[in-house]
Amino acid sequence: MDLQIALLLGQDGITNGAIYALLALALVLVFAVTRVIFIPQGEFVAFGALTLAGLQAGRLPGTIWLLLALGTAIALVEGSRALRDRNFRRLPMILLVNCGVPLLLAGTLFALSPASLPLPVQVLLALMLVVPLGPMIYRLAYQPIAEASVLALLIVSVAVHVTLIGLGLLFFGAEGSRTLSFTDISFELGDILVQGQTLLVVVASLMLIVALYFFFERTIYGKALRATAMNRTGARLMGISGSLAGMLSFTLAAAIGALSGILISPITTIYYDSGFLIGLKGFVGAIIGGLASYPVAAAGAILVGLLESFSSFWASAFKEVIVFTSIIPVLVWRSLKTRHVEEE
Amino acid sequence: MKRSPQPTILVLLFVAALLLAPLFLPAFYVTLLNYIGLYAIVALGLVLLTGVGGLTSFGQAAFVGLGAYTSAYLTTVHGVSPWLTLPAGLLVTGLVALSLGMVTLRLSGHFLPLGTIAWGIALYYLFGNLAALGGHTGISGIPPLQFFDIELRSGREFFYLIWAVLLVIILATRNLLDSREGRAIRALKGGTLMAEAMGVNTPRSKIVIFTVAALYASISGWLYAHLQRFVNPTPFSLTQGIEYLFMAVVGGVSHVWGAILGAGLITVLKQWLQDWLPTLLGKSGNFEMIVFGLLMIFVLHRARDGVWPFVQRLFPQRRPGACPIKAQALPRRPLPETDSVVLEVKDASKRFGGLVANDRMSFRVRAGEVMALIGPNGAGKSTMFDGISGVDPLTSGAVSFCGQRIEALPARDIARRGMSRTFQHVRLLPAMSVLENVAIGTHLRGRKSFVAAACRMDRDEEARLLQEAAAQIARCGLYEQMHEPAGSLPLGKQRIVEIARALAADPCLLLLDEPAAGLRYLEKQALGELLRRLRSEGIAILLVEHDMDFVMGLADRVVVMEFGRKLAAGLPEEIQRNPAVVEAYLGGVE
Amino acid sequence: MKIKNSIAGLLAILATGFAANVTADINVGVTLSATGPAASLGIPEKNTVALLPTTIAGQKINYIVLDDASDTTTAVKNTRKLIAEDKVDVIIGSTITPNSLAMIDVVAEAEVPMIAMAASSRIIAPMDAKRAWVYKTPQNDAQMAMAIVEHMAGNKVKTVAYIGFADAYGEGWWNEFSKAAEAQNIKIVGNERFNRSDTSVTGQVLKILSAKPDAVLVGGAGTPAALPQKALKEKGYKGVMYQTHGVANADFLRVCGKDCEGTFLPAGPVLVAVQLPDSNPVKKEALDYVNKYEAAQGKGSVSTFGAHAWDAGTLLANAIPQALKKAQPGTPEFRKALRDSLEDTKELTAAHGVFNMSPQDHLGFDQRSRVMVQIVDGNWLLVK
Repeated sequence: MDLQIALLLGQDGITNGAIYALLALALVLVFAVTRVIFIPQGEFVAFGALTLAGLQAGRLPGTIWLLLALGTAIALVEGSRALRDRNFRRLPMILLVNCGVPLLLAGTLFALSPASLPLPVQVLLALMLVVPLGPMIYRLAYQPIAEASVLALLIVSVAVHVTLIGLGLLFFGAEGSRTLSFTDISFELGDILVQGQTLLVVVASLMLIVALYFFFERTIYGKALRATAMNRTGARLMGISGSLAGMLSFTLAAAIGALSGILISPITTIYYDSGFLIGLKGFVGAIIGGLASYPVAAAGAILVGLLESFSSFWASAFKEVIVFTSIIPVLVWRSLKTRHVEEE
Repeated sequence: MKRSPQPTILVLLFVAALLLAPLFLPAFYVTLLNYIGLYAIVALGLVLLTGVGGLTSFGQAAFVGLGAYTSAYLTTVHGVSPWLTLPAGLLVTGLVALSLGMVTLRLSGHFLPLGTIAWGIALYYLFGNLAALGGHTGISGIPPLQFFDIELRSGREFFYLIWAVLLVIILATRNLLDSREGRAIRALKGGTLMAEAMGVNTPRSKIVIFTVAALYASISGWLYAHLQRFVNPTPFSLTQGIEYLFMAVVGGVSHVWGAILGAGLITVLKQWLQDWLPTLLGKSGNFEMIVFGLLMIFVLHRARDGVWPFVQRLFPQRRPGACPIKAQALPRRPLPETDSVVLEVKDASKRFGGLVANDRMSFRVRAGEVMALIGPNGAGKSTMFDGISGVDPLTSGAVSFCGQRIEALPARDIARRGMSRTFQHVRLLPAMSVLENVAIGTHLRGRKSFVAAACRMDRDEEARLLQEAAAQIARCGLYEQMHEPAGSLPLGKQRIVEIARALAADPCLLLLDEPAAGLRYLEKQALGELLRRLRSEGIAILLVEHDMDFVMGLADRVVVMEFGRKLAAGLPEEIQRNPAVVEAYLGGVE
Repeated sequence: MKIKNSIAGLLAILATGFAANVTADINVGVTLSATGPAASLGIPEKNTVALLPTTIAGQKINYIVLDDASDTTTAVKNTRKLIAEDKVDVIIGSTITPNSLAMIDVVAEAEVPMIAMAASSRIIAPMDAKRAWVYKTPQNDAQMAMAIVEHMAGNKVKTVAYIGFADAYGEGWWNEFSKAAEAQNIKIVGNERFNRSDTSVTGQVLKILSAKPDAVLVGGAGTPAALPQKALKEKGYKGVMYQTHGVANADFLRVCGKDCEGTFLPAGPVLVAVQLPDSNPVKKEALDYVNKYEAAQGKGSVSTFGAHAWDAGTLLANAIPQALKKAQPGTPEFRKALRDSLEDTKELTAAHGVFNMSPQDHLGFDQRSRVMVQIVDGNWLLVK
């Protein structure tokens, strides 16, 4: 292995690691705020990429049906509660938000021909189709049992993951897709050729991380989320609703997932079930950060990307074995470092 | 773990039905029952792990794979008899489970399931990449099992083997849970603090159930290899691991029979969905996965205990007997001489970051006296208790118990030396009966192992432990409620159950954290009476209490704490007149 | 006339409907991988089963199709169900090698003939008492690998690298290809693996590039096989690219795009049916299948995998009339007779080639079962 190969592997590792880092941040965020270990995070990557690919191919993405179905389900749940409380004035709002907006989106898709729209508009449409799924899933699957144990929430996560994988096959089929490149620029950096798209992934990830930082530091919603993450009961006493914080964190997680998918789909083929392994590698990063520290999680995720890249060079058949057993020394180190604490 | 014993007749009927089933059922139903049996064995391990012990694994399929691959490899490559490969598979699985368990089980709750996902994937790819194990294509031509001259080739013959194994495992699991070690395992779910304070080695208990669950999976894998006579990595993937957990959760993860029910429901449902969904929807897709996912979410929302409790209601419940059978009494610990110093705390400090909860506290407790630790809320009394009992060790200072330094020992070793305690926030297992809760206190007074318990070779000791627990319950005046679930008692009575549990450990020092809170007047009197009797027997009692009448009427000496420091110490009358104490109490009110 | 026909048709339907309960139809059990990792192979097979003849020699044929989700346990369960519940006379399936291998014991025990649609020669060799009941329709990997190696030798390829799926498909190809290449003195300078859902194969590709092979063979099926090729092109690889017949569907061309121009692959003749010379006996059968499939599923939807199911149907249509002479459907004798007459198949033209079975060879394909194809202008072009 010479320097050039090492550099190329490093570049590849950092590109993938940047995506894992984004996912790791989302995972830490969701866990800190809601105690949900968000296994379906990866599905948002696949759904984002494949929805965009569908739009570009001029197909109506299946995600719109999911959006309509979830919207209807929420409208039913919320509506029946409003009826029980005899709170009839809430009904129009419930219907409008949960059924009206998705219908409007579906109408837009039918009216326009998405394939001919400029790329940024397609991306925006794809995000509008996928991101709302996050809070909707939170509302239906997690919020009713928000107080349950981490374990119960984890099992729900796995159930949601399984459901979404099944739906993914139904919506997008077994074969994969790629989306159009955002940029075709490439340039020489020293000895190696850098693709503009690859650079875009890294730069966009960095920008997202910075944006998240400002969101948490400077905005009222960001601060509310941080407060909830630190002390759920305390935040509630201060008037920060737990379900609002949950919705918000899931929206962020869905947006991060969908954006990650859109970023990488020009440089790799995405399948309906790609998300799981991508998300799990984000998890390995997040676990290195102890599911608590954002910077360590991001660094851990980059490390996973590099480990994956180099092990695919040295022993490609054992790549997954290497990446996933790397979690074990991390766990050993964590178990030696942390004193036993009572889990309530 | 709700373990209302089923009338034996029903179990016998079930076994009889099983014996006859292959003779009457069509062949494919027998096939299905075989798979249900195989899955139920794995799900039973998950019941033990998740439902009883509160740990979760998505990686059981990998353990099934270890069992299956060990047998497949040894029989096809080295021609070893399938009956010898079973112990070999158990050995391999046991070693892997032990080492994985040691790594992951020390971590708090959610790291374990995430860890299991990781090594579930890693082992899957390892199976697929080892040429000796047939790679991704798999190993074919595994010999069938032979029982003397009968080759177990058809599903009907195999049926009896699978279900016999399953029934034996169910029996062993039930026996295990209904024993001293079983109670220790069940105590894990109530948090490890209480279990440790009762002398349970919780890391060991966790590793044991983790290994046992893995061994069950390994047995299932061995059976699978010889039923299928072909192995490749796909049946041992993470997807299958998730499905095993689904079975346990749907069936009822806290119930032994829930494992069979869940395995049956999921297998039959899958079959049914496979037949009907494509017809209904006219398209191919992973519909059963969608339905399973939604079903899981529904179960966790609406019936977190699974389906078994609904089935259980259909059966009559056996009333538990009034009192355990008579047995020889347990040996008592020799108590220290009256007035000798039992506990000596010297310069004990506890800091949480910048907050000083205990600041150079010093005091002594003698045998045969009641010493009260009082002070306003937040004075650091419970922290002091946690420090003394080893539940949350001190930052600095020394604690001597019966003349030996104990501040560096873990809670369970301190408990072994004869210190027992109750908790300010009651730590009982609400679903278990009062008797079983109190019997946890006797943990250190028995020594029969897991294996002995599973084989029912512990009955003599068990009877003695239960009799001791019953005696302590009677002594605390809860004889009538002995068989009721502890959670159904009012809070005040639950505190008394905690005292009975502490007494069941045969202590020479009793730490009681607000024992009188929530008691009515007459009950308080009875409690005072009990404590006086214990004192006269020579037991030392350290007490935290807010009820001043109760304290002043009972305590021999009083230590007052404020802001983590000792404010005053002396006889009750002196304390009542001490201006600093009055200021601390009344000042707090104003 | 029309009315008369439709009444006759209706009566026929009614008659067969009633007959189903009286005399035994021929039941054909099918288990294939319509979901799971092998879905892109299983789905066209499933679509093809719907096109198979519903009567053969006047006997009604019932197809009972089950999905095994690319999972061996389910494949075996399906097989047991088809045998025990549906009393099938023959089983078609499964799509992938591990599943088919796992089914052998079950069918041999129940003495039900089975026609596999998976590629590995391990399914039918070495011939033994169990495999006597097992036939298969896809060309052996070895035959396809040989085609590639011959083409390589003809194009003066001296060194080659292999990158394949980390599953049974990639593994099977590696075994056959490495053997074939060695026999032709082609040096293998790289052997890498990747996963279907991998997002990056940079590491593997760099390793291959550093070995500077004259050619690279990608052992993958469907769209995932495009990833290594695109990565190689992006890193400036200029050598000859080979793919396997697993990629022969329209989705692959869509995803791989211009990066796959000039790629060679071996395939069953059905892939380029129109371009076959009229003298080729396979052309008519292959075209017939392509037209039927595209009429049902749309233009350009055909893949070579569906044709394996079609060929299984062709084998049955040829063997059943012989077997019917010896025994009634639904009996062990009929299944035995069917097995025997499948073994007697001689010069039977199908969509993928010409079958000549023997007791030792339960595939019976020769050189006519494969052609070399090149991707030119985003289309499959027969290499003459």
